[in-house]
Amino acid sequence: MIPESEFENILAKKYMRTEIMPHAFCPGCGLGIIERIILMAFEELGWDEWEKTVFVSGIGCSGWVPLYFRRDAAHTLHGRALAFATALKASRPELNVIVIMGDGDSMGIGGNHLIHAARRNIGITAIIATNMLYSLTGGQMAPTTPEGARTQTTPYGSIEPNFDLMELLKAAGATYLARWTTYHFMQAKNSLKKAIKHKGFAAIEILFQCPTYAGRYILNKPDPRDMLQWFKENSVPLTVAKKKDPEELKGKILVGEFLHRTDRVEYTEKLKELEKRAKGG
Amino acid sequence: MAATRVNQIAVSDKLCKGCYLCIWACPWNVLEISEERNWRGVKKPVATKIENCRACRLCEYYCPDFAIQVIVDEEEEKEILEVEERYEKPWLRRIERRNEIVSRGVWWLES
Amino acid sequence: MYVEPGIHLMQGDEAIVEGSLIAGCRFFAGYPITPATEIAERMSRRMPQVGGVFMQMEDELASILAIIGASWAGKKAMTATSGPGYSLMQEGLGYAILTETPIVITDVQRGGPSTGLVTLPSQGDVMQARWGSHGDYGIIALAPSSAQDMFDLAIRAFNLSEEYRNPVVILADEVIAHVREPVKVPPLEEIEIVERRKPSVPPEEYIPYLPDPGEWVTPMPAFGEGYNMLVESVMHDEFGHRIGTDHVAAERTIKRVYYKIEKNVEKIAMYETELMEDAEIAVVSYGSTARTSLRAVREARKLGIKAGILRLITLWPFYDKIIEDIASQVRAIVVPEMNMGKIVREVERAAKGNAEVMSLPKVGGVLHHPDEVLSAIKKAAR
Repeated sequence: MIPESEFENILAKKYMRTEIMPHAFCPGCGLGIIERIILMAFEELGWDEWEKTVFVSGIGCSGWVPLYFRRDAAHTLHGRALAFATALKASRPELNVIVIMGDGDSMGIGGNHLIHAARRNIGITAIIATNMLYSLTGGQMAPTTPEGARTQTTPYGSIEPNFDLMELLKAAGATYLARWTTYHFMQAKNSLKKAIKHKGFAAIEILFQCPTYAGRYILNKPDPRDMLQWFKENSVPLTVAKKKDPEELKGKILVGEFLHRTDRVEYTEKLKELEKRAKGG
Repeated sequence: MAATRVNQIAVSDKLCKGCYLCIWACPWNVLEISEERNWRGVKKPVATKIENCRACRLCEYYCPDFAIQVIVDEEEEKEILEVEERYEKPWLRRIERRNEIVSRGVWWLES
Repeated sequence: MYVEPGIHLMQGDEAIVEGSLIAGCRFFAGYPITPATEIAERMSRRMPQVGGVFMQMEDELASILAIIGASWAGKKAMTATSGPGYSLMQEGLGYAILTETPIVITDVQRGGPSTGLVTLPSQGDVMQARWGSHGDYGIIALAPSSAQDMFDLAIRAFNLSEEYRNPVVILADEVIAHVREPVKVPPLEEIEIVERRKPSVPPEEYIPYLPDPGEWVTPMPAFGEGYNMLVESVMHDEFGHRIGTDHVAAERTIKRVYYKIEKNVEKIAMYETELMEDAEIAVVSYGSTARTSLRAVREARKLGIKAGILRLITLWPFYDKIIEDIASQVRAIVVPEMNMGKIVREVERAAKGNAEVMSLPKVGGVLHHPDEVLSAIKKAAR
């Protein structure tokens, strides 16, 4: 029998900075599950891939995700993770660059960098952890807050419609897109594996439970178990959604693999070509 | 009743925050909230019906804090200890060295 | 690959590109802005030729984060901008400082505030270069006065940034950026280039932000080399781990990023003097203003006034000692600047009342005429 007092799960022992754990997330926070999704993907991809991987994150609860990995990681400024990552990938194309962003990093303050990274189709894997509001600062409206939802800055209900990240990135030129929730654990892991191997800009949106703020303010479900149950009951796989009429899908979370294009050349490959031309080759 | 298939379901006192997602995830009702609080003040889940466990590991997958581990047999126990020795321990030594240097006072604060 | 040794007619903006490439710059990210656009333009042509990467980013916020990212990828990296862009970069600059990332930022100053005088020179960003980002930190800023300086100081800037693991700002101005002058390129083997120090200990023993006794910075590994670096924008301890309320650890980190520059001012500071041996009136100047000041000092000598000039090449960290020395020698110090008087405050402070300090401000986007400086010298000599 293994003593339980200082115990960590085997994945944590292998991949994480256990000396700074337990991590700073609230009890039941879905970001821990996202960490686990990432580590499970690498457990299957192998240690060699892990050693080639670097993480970049922005500010917000989501920004803390890679800080617990025993791996090169940059905790950058709010919204600027993709700018840092773009240069990292352009300078060292052999690295797997994984960027973890939240609602603000990806669609709020960092929205511009997101669409330009997708436009360039640079080989970055973006994990976009959304939870329908800003949680680090205490539950204010985010670009993903559903219209009508009450938050700390929308006490009378939000009057702004929310972003559909998948449609936004499709238009901007991303080449791999998937959306899952933390309930869809295995599917998210499989999509992530594909995204890491994908040549081009890949984004996976993972809706995670924030029992402390989204649970209390938006869904009226302060228990993480109820939130996961809600994800389970309110998510519709794309294949099923195609057969339904839009009225039925109102308020539902569409999940699945939204896009997998192979017709666009990846940015760093074009960079190599450009260098050849510049050198007169 | 099936024979016990799982040796231990370890729940970490250090990491468990008591969100009970493991209990929600378990299809076999293996886990229950313990009566007593541990040293961190958490009533952590305990495997009261370990004989029901099929080692599907859903509790591990949904645990956001890496606090729970299904340990099927001695071999798995050995694997965990091997991983600890190889991947975790080498990185922990430098902490003591830092603490020692810092406790003596870093030189740029004195100058 | 590099510009041939010899004398070339070059624009300041072009000279800084050639100097940077020789210094080892292999990544440039920028966003077009007058009067720094020529730097990006020439970089876009030259960088791929030497095997580097040029990226035109979506804005200056992205540009500075991109060069920080490239620096952690193991490249020497630079960006170039002007006032408005430099203002946008301040947050990123703070990130580079706290994470001790070597980068070079060229700010080709134009008239401000706001969009301001787009095509006209200024020295208005001098204090922003020192205090622009929030919090306490040390920073190095160099002020070139000629196209030759743009070439030489580009190399010096990269060397300093690698040595101290700190951002270095080149505070050029529109005049220096656009002037076409002969630039002497020495043979490559005569140019001193500082390469990045890599850790010699195995990753498990490496403490990322705890330098050896007597050293100010640690060697810097790149991403992907197994050192598991944490490049943390939150106040961190010696491992790069976030610290919440550990004020003792925070003090250690803040004081080191402050003192590593301020305490090494003697090693970093560069200046030039002319006609100072017997001077009774000193002109303290920098950047393009130093050119008109030199002319005025020579004119003053013709009139029998014992004037001399101190040209500050390193603006930050401010070298108090040289001002102190001069103040004890001369009667008055004239400080012409293309702003409402910024460095003059530092001069006044460092002079400690030993000499009269006269500010000679100039705004509106035009250089001082030598006669203006001369009449200030005459006034000081009375």
